Amino acid sequence: MKRIVMSFVLFICLSGATGLIQAEETAPLKAVDISLDQATLKQGLGVFTDVCMGCHSLRYMTWKDLMDYKEIGLNRKAVDELRGDAPLNAHMMTGLSEADAKESYGTVPPDLSVMARAREGKGAYIYSLLTGFEHDPKGRIMDGNYNIYFPGHRIAMSDPLGWLDHDAADEKDLKQQARAVASFLTFVGDPHQLERQTIGKWVMIFLIVLTFVFWLLKRAVWSDVEH
Amino acid sequence: MIKKILDSSAAQWLDDRTHAVQYIRFHLIDYPTPKNLNYMYAFGSIALVVLILQVLSGLFLAMDYKAATLPTGNGFSLAFDSVERIMRDVNYGWLIRYMHAVGATTFFFVIYLHMARGLYYGSYKKPREFLWIMGVMILLIMQATVFFGYLLPWGQMSFWGATVITNIFGAVPVIGDWLLQLVRGGFSVGDPTLGRFFVLHFLTPLLLIVVVLWHVMALHVVHSNNPTGVETSKKNIIPFHPYYTVKDLLGIGVFLIIYSYFVFFNPTGNGLIIEVNNFNPANPMHTPGDISPVWYLTPWYEILRSVPNKLLGIVGMGFAYVCLFLLPWLDRSPVRSARYRPVYRMMLIVFFVAIGTLGYCGHHPVTPELTLVGRIASVFYFAFFFLLPFVHKFEKTKPLPEDV
Repeated sequence: MKRIVMSFVLFICLSGATGLIQAEETAPLKAVDISLDQATLKQGLGVFTDVCMGCHSLRYMTWKDLMDYKEIGLNRKAVDELRGDAPLNAHMMTGLSEADAKESYGTVPPDLSVMARAREGKGAYIYSLLTGFEHDPKGRIMDGNYNIYFPGHRIAMSDPLGWLDHDAADEKDLKQQARAVASFLTFVGDPHQLERQTIGKWVMIFLIVLTFVFWLLKRAVWSDVEH
Repeated sequence: MIKKILDSSAAQWLDDRTHAVQYIRFHLIDYPTPKNLNYMYAFGSIALVVLILQVLSGLFLAMDYKAATLPTGNGFSLAFDSVERIMRDVNYGWLIRYMHAVGATTFFFVIYLHMARGLYYGSYKKPREFLWIMGVMILLIMQATVFFGYLLPWGQMSFWGATVITNIFGAVPVIGDWLLQLVRGGFSVGDPTLGRFFVLHFLTPLLLIVVVLWHVMALHVVHSNNPTGVETSKKNIIPFHPYYTVKDLLGIGVFLIIYSYFVFFNPTGNGLIIEVNNFNPANPMHTPGDISPVWYLTPWYEILRSVPNKLLGIVGMGFAYVCLFLLPWLDRSPVRSARYRPVYRMMLIVFFVAIGTLGYCGHHPVTPELTLVGRIASVFYFAFFFLLPFVHKFEKTKPLPEDV
């Protein structure tokens, strides 16, 4: 018994300790209320096409998807305005070539299709990153490239929303923009998630009823066995 | 209705030529079962359901999956793209893929509970030794299958997990390097590796099905053990159908509720089912800070990691499996069930805690404290098997019941 207690105690202490070690590298992420309602997704899409798409692509999303996914539900006219002369079934690719990106930023900006799933914290990571630009207290990293949420704190992407030194009056607006982008990318990372949850509710109800019937059946069949 | 079908002239015609009806009667209807089996005994049937789910979902995934590392721009590959295409563009592809991914984790969860039940009630003892050995073989085939399958999405954890595990072959003395290249099909994990892993991910489940069928057939020769571990008298035997068909159905129903909860509401299992880093495409130039296998492989991985020498670590891990195979002969007590064996019961609980601790340690980045805990847990793991041959000499077992 003593051994079991000891291993449990060690187990709990160590889970706490590993949490502390991770915290040293980057700041703990800000909490954000990700919402996949149409208004937020449309706003996020707007910020994405205006700002993010200057450098980043969505290789798994086509312009047509913006109409087909009912969660975003853009109409044909709005899609035509966004896509310009790109074909309707073309993927949402940035105009910045890899060679130009390497010259300007020293790296190729990552595709953002699954970014909201590929980082610990998911949507909260994107929100925190967009609102995480600060002045380097040690003064070594240039303003606009110092981000407290990025591993190593030096990020090639320079403050896309203009968070650094923003006016207090703009804070609410900037936070909302960051939240909308985080929500939009959360949707894009797994575009069937709302459909999945809707179907899931019916599956659960069906299975619970079915299992209840099985329970009744089991009780009836076993009624003549002493056990 | 089932009786009607089996008695029909068509069924009789078939039975005269293939014994089909006799097989069904023997394995699914008349099979004599003790009446006191609890719900822990449902995990065998549940595992069979999971196996069928995995095979079917896997078949449909394979129709749209492309096993090629061909670059498609910005670090992505054809394999990674095809998985995302299944998730987005294939009709209900997301459902099939999540069923398969959640199913893999579930399979291990169910099998570990199934094995724990076997350990607790002494179901590995005479005359069921070979049943237990086949069970361990099934576990090994499953672990190989899941390892091959995890490479297929060609994400960061796929690539680096396969790199770490195939490195095991490189530790073999003298022929290590040659063997490593043979397994990978090149100097590093790459397109040839992906191709052969895809084929092997098809082959090993076929093998699995064969051994599972054999396992079930062997069970029906030696018959089920029961929670008391004593032989069942005639009057306490009931036929499998309808008693255990309906009882297992109830177990399967409860299982499906939990399974569907994960498929529909938490398909990545907070990183335990699909790891966060596996949504990044494989990048051979960028090693992740922390490479750990999925949770169901970590206890054995931690034993490997606990030994400072690479080759000895592999020997240690192999020995951990050998111990499982030898279990029926290591335990010499005439009493089966842990209900009547206080010392064995205590040892078993410590053993389960040790495996849980090993799994936890193997799933987290190496720290000096975790390494120490992992080593202590490894010692407890092996201590269980080393003590077993001697326990019956001093253990005072509780009086056994006459009948179940």
